[in-house]
Amino acid sequence: MADSLLSYISLAMILFSIGLLGVISRKNIFIVYMSIELMLNAVNLIFISLGRYYESMEPQVISILIIAVAAAEAAVFLSLIVVLYRRKRSLDSDIFNILSQKSAS
Amino acid sequence: MESNDIVYLLPLLVVMIGAITMMLLSTFSSVSIKKGAYYSLMFLFVALISNLYNLNSSSEIYSSYPYIGIFKKMIIVDTYSGYFSSILLFGAILTLLIGLQYLEKHKEFTVEFFSLFLFSVLGMMLLVHVNELITGFIALEIASLSMYVMIGFQKVLDKRVEASYRYLVLGSLAGIFFLLGTSFIYAVTQTTTIGEIGEFAQNYVGTDMPLLIIGGTMILITFLFKIAAFPFQNWVLDVYDGAPLPVTAFMAATFKIAIFGFVLRLVLVDFDSIRDFWDDMLFVITIATLAYGSFLAIIQTSIKRMLVASSIVHTGYLLIAFISIGIIGESAASSIIFYLVAYFLSAIGAFGIVSFISSDERLRITYDDFKGFAHVYPYRAAMLSIFMLSLAGIPSTIGFIGKFYIFTAAIEAGYTILAVIGIIATFISVYYYFKLIAIMYFYPSPKIVEDVPFSGVGSITIGLITILIVWGGIGNTLISYFPGVDFLIDMARLSYESLFIR
Repeated sequence: MADSLLSYISLAMILFSIGLLGVISRKNIFIVYMSIELMLNAVNLIFISLGRYYESMEPQVISILIIAVAAAEAAVFLSLIVVLYRRKRSLDSDIFNILSQKSAS
Repeated sequence: MESNDIVYLLPLLVVMIGAITMMLLSTFSSVSIKKGAYYSLMFLFVALISNLYNLNSSSEIYSSYPYIGIFKKMIIVDTYSGYFSSILLFGAILTLLIGLQYLEKHKEFTVEFFSLFLFSVLGMMLLVHVNELITGFIALEIASLSMYVMIGFQKVLDKRVEASYRYLVLGSLAGIFFLLGTSFIYAVTQTTTIGEIGEFAQNYVGTDMPLLIIGGTMILITFLFKIAAFPFQNWVLDVYDGAPLPVTAFMAATFKIAIFGFVLRLVLVDFDSIRDFWDDMLFVITIATLAYGSFLAIIQTSIKRMLVASSIVHTGYLLIAFISIGIIGESAASSIIFYLVAYFLSAIGAFGIVSFISSDERLRITYDDFKGFAHVYPYRAAMLSIFMLSLAGIPSTIGFIGKFYIFTAAIEAGYTILAVIGIIATFISVYYYFKLIAIMYFYPSPKIVEDVPFSGVGSITIGLITILIVWGGIGNTLISYFPGVDFLIDMARLSYESLFIR
């Protein structure tokens, strides 16, 4: 039992690291969004495997709550991506640089 | 007890009902921005009054879990949360009153904005009532998600959308670190309730608890990110600069209070026995925050960016007291709470008056634009000067009293070095705050304009804040029989005590 918990948490941490790397290194904002979702689901995986290990329902409820919050975040994120794409006709995050230059108001 | 529970939860319920009502009202075209603002103000006032009733009706400190059968111990109502949510509601009311003119001026804002605003107030109030980590995450996300949308509300401006995008990516990353920390803590303690984690840590004190410490560190990272402490401060300049001014004021003053409210409860109740581990880390972070924040504030040319950069320095002052909690809990915690009130009054006034000025025809952005401002608008210049004096911590303003408590607490706790560095940072801050005053008063105005009458709800509110700031500074020394600011710090002490009744 403990061995399988270790492998599940290792898998979750690998997924989390992939997600973190994706957020840091990728330029495409859609892939950044997908990496964030990957990290959230890695945390979900940790909770669910802990629930199986401790034989408790609590972590499973927690992971459902996290999924609900992630859905709300997805709504904001996707609509923002649509707005950004309409304005710039591109998904490359390098072109969003007005704020780092000297800006007004 | 059952009848009391609904009264205890009334402030939260009123704000939630208000948010939903505003969402429904926004479909009617007859509801203008002004009406929408007044409706939401009404809801906020009702919530504030019911909150003050809770705080006042029990002269003793209280602590209770409302509807313990349904919510278990997820939500707590005590003097601490009551005090914090009064400040939050007061801040929200002031933000709306001051921001109204700005919102009316810019045509992109609609009534939905108030719905989002009330939802974020709800998230913040929930955050200080929270007694469980996952509920804390949900409350944090309610507040942040509404904030992301509020920043990007004027979607015709590239700047707003970009600021919203940056905050969204970094904010959700910070939220995920919070969750990861929670999962680690759950793995050790099998609970996410705040008091029970504390009991676990107390029982196993002296043994190695790597997972608990790593989990706590992850949560601390989220906290440092949200208050913009040193390694995580890069987003704050761009995001606050890109946001509309009322939203910037709301984020800088009110959101920070809510985050501190949550983390203080977490650290004081839960990590009391393992807090020593983070002391060295926080020590370095505090010094770096003060130094880098001062540097950033000096090099800015725009007033808004200067105010934002100086908010990083104020985070540094708060962190000084945050470290001292380990040694003298009560006076350090109450000094944090008092400083939060002092900073919130000064910052909301400063951002408010700048938003006021920039909603006029002529935009004033950089220091140079303020040349001779005092000759054109004497009253506004006087008020702006008072806010600057209070932010710099000059005696006879509330900012001085706040800094006095913070540095006293640091010296009592033995962190004399930190107090000295804090005072040096205050000296440096005099440069960039007084530069604005000097430019307003000692330069001739480019052209003489008729004095614009100072009227409207927003200006009266700003005037009221000015009076509050000065009263907070002199209230307890000059006029002895007059109620001074002592009640604020006494209240903070009481709310600190209420954390520990179980």
